[in-house]
Amino acid sequence: MSAYRSTHQAVGTVIDAPPAGQSAGPRTAAGGIPFLRLCRVELRKQLDTRAGVWLLVAIALVNCGFIALTLFTADAAALTWTTLSQSASLGQLLLLPLIGVMAATSEWSARTALTTFTLEPRRTRVNLAKLASAGALGLIVMAVTFMVSALLNLVGIVWLGGDGSWALDWGIVGGSALALVLLVWQGVASGLAFLSTPVAIVAYLALPTVWTVLTLTIESLRGPAEWLDVNQTLNVLMMGAMTAADWPRLAVSLVVWLAVPLAFGLWRTARREP
Amino acid sequence: MEHMITAEHLTKRYRSRVAVDDVSFTASPGRITGFLGPNGAGKSTTMRMLCGLASPTSGNSTVLGVPFRALENPGRHVGVLLDAAAQHNGRTGRESLSISAQVMKLPARRVEEVLELVGLTPSEGGSRIRGYSLGMRQRLGLAAALLGDPQVLILDEPANGLDPAGIRWMRGLLTSFAAAGGTVLLSSHLLLEVEAVADDLVIIGQGRVLAHGSAAELLAVPGTQVQSLDDDRLGAALIAAGFDVAATGAGLTTSATVDDVGRIALGAAIVVTDLRPAANAGLEELFFTMTAQHGREDVSA
Repeated sequence: MSAYRSTHQAVGTVIDAPPAGQSAGPRTAAGGIPFLRLCRVELRKQLDTRAGVWLLVAIALVNCGFIALTLFTADAAALTWTTLSQSASLGQLLLLPLIGVMAATSEWSARTALTTFTLEPRRTRVNLAKLASAGALGLIVMAVTFMVSALLNLVGIVWLGGDGSWALDWGIVGGSALALVLLVWQGVASGLAFLSTPVAIVAYLALPTVWTVLTLTIESLRGPAEWLDVNQTLNVLMMGAMTAADWPRLAVSLVVWLAVPLAFGLWRTARREP
Repeated sequence: MEHMITAEHLTKRYRSRVAVDDVSFTASPGRITGFLGPNGAGKSTTMRMLCGLASPTSGNSTVLGVPFRALENPGRHVGVLLDAAAQHNGRTGRESLSISAQVMKLPARRVEEVLELVGLTPSEGGSRIRGYSLGMRQRLGLAAALLGDPQVLILDEPANGLDPAGIRWMRGLLTSFAAAGGTVLLSSHLLLEVEAVADDLVIIGQGRVLAHGSAAELLAVPGTQVQSLDDDRLGAALIAAGFDVAATGAGLTTSATVDDVGRIALGAAIVVTDLRPAANAGLEELFFTMTAQHGREDVSA
């Protein structure tokens, strides 16, 4: 039937590699696959599965719901670009981190890690590309949200007699964008640490919430909670109400909920056999 | 000849269990090296170490003269198929290959080329892997291995799940790949399949290399098979001349060469009715002899 036709010098198919025929050892390099290329590939992998597409659809639907709620129930005076953007961000704040979780876990549940890490054996670079691309996805989604909110602000002005202020509260804008990126990274970190989609999702959603509930019910935990409750510290960030005292609190809570699981996950995936 | 794959004293211990024990071998360009052993012998673990997916407890290995993990853009040099089931069911075959092509920076048409090469139609390429049969997954895995136009192929049980026509097709593919100067290391527990394609053999049992050499050498059995009108007298004459003799169902088998047997029969005036070199014992017999003491003979041929 079909014989193997390549001659190992398939110049036509090769763009950037040295001609394979000259095999006298030009093949090692400290760099590996260029990082930007890895990021593009990882972004593609987050969106080319049904789970990825449906999560984006779900985000859009949730946002539509909250926007409709705001448009039709809020005071006309509250219909501004900033408030519309805020209500149009809830979908991604809730669901986009799950794409981050799956970016990390699906390699191991579908066992594509076998292919991924034979094509780029420098595993930590692949994982960092996952973080970078998932964070970039968060920023893209946020930018789309602001554009859609601008259109809706026009709708508010024209048909609903809304205030329609175009003044963006940059504390809120920057704060929610940063919070989204941090939440997505928390998802990736949880995924890398647990390497199982259900466990990682439950851990990502439930553990911080359980901690929040505990701190609300147990009096003596309220003090530490200001430093260790990531829901609380990220909330302040999203409200655009960060004071000088809030930044160290945010940092400490992120060490616990982001840096520690991420470090463990990177360590674990660098060693584990796919 | 430059060795394209080299394993040196590879050892892998999982807690107390030794999966691979001091395995050394080489694979050369233009040849197909069959990596043969019963299930659980350590074939897959060895291949995972060759591909940098598992770290050896001790020993080392190189592909194209360097450790696999030091290769830049390894997919361009080494095609790897370790487990055809390790694919994302939600992606199409084409998307799965396109991702790999993007990592390796290959043009999109290379994906169509390898799909055609492994006999997957464009519409099969466009359907989700969830619906693929084992044979189609195997073909897709081979397509992924061939995608980067590598000089070296490392294939773990590539014939698994292929029908007889598919096995025949793959045999042709690997033979022409090696004929074009490529290096193939393929593992199998399917003895006949390996016997049909391999130029060199590495036989492994319980993590140890039991034999390593060219298939012709390993399979050749010195000796002669002879039948005559008076086997008893011929046997006695051979023993008298200092050769080993064994009676078989049809005549004798002896350590003497065909020439020796002819000369002795002539000298003793015995009519010989059949005289030929002993038949190849065949890989299966060799394999069972080699691995028998390891008690894992649950191998299908």
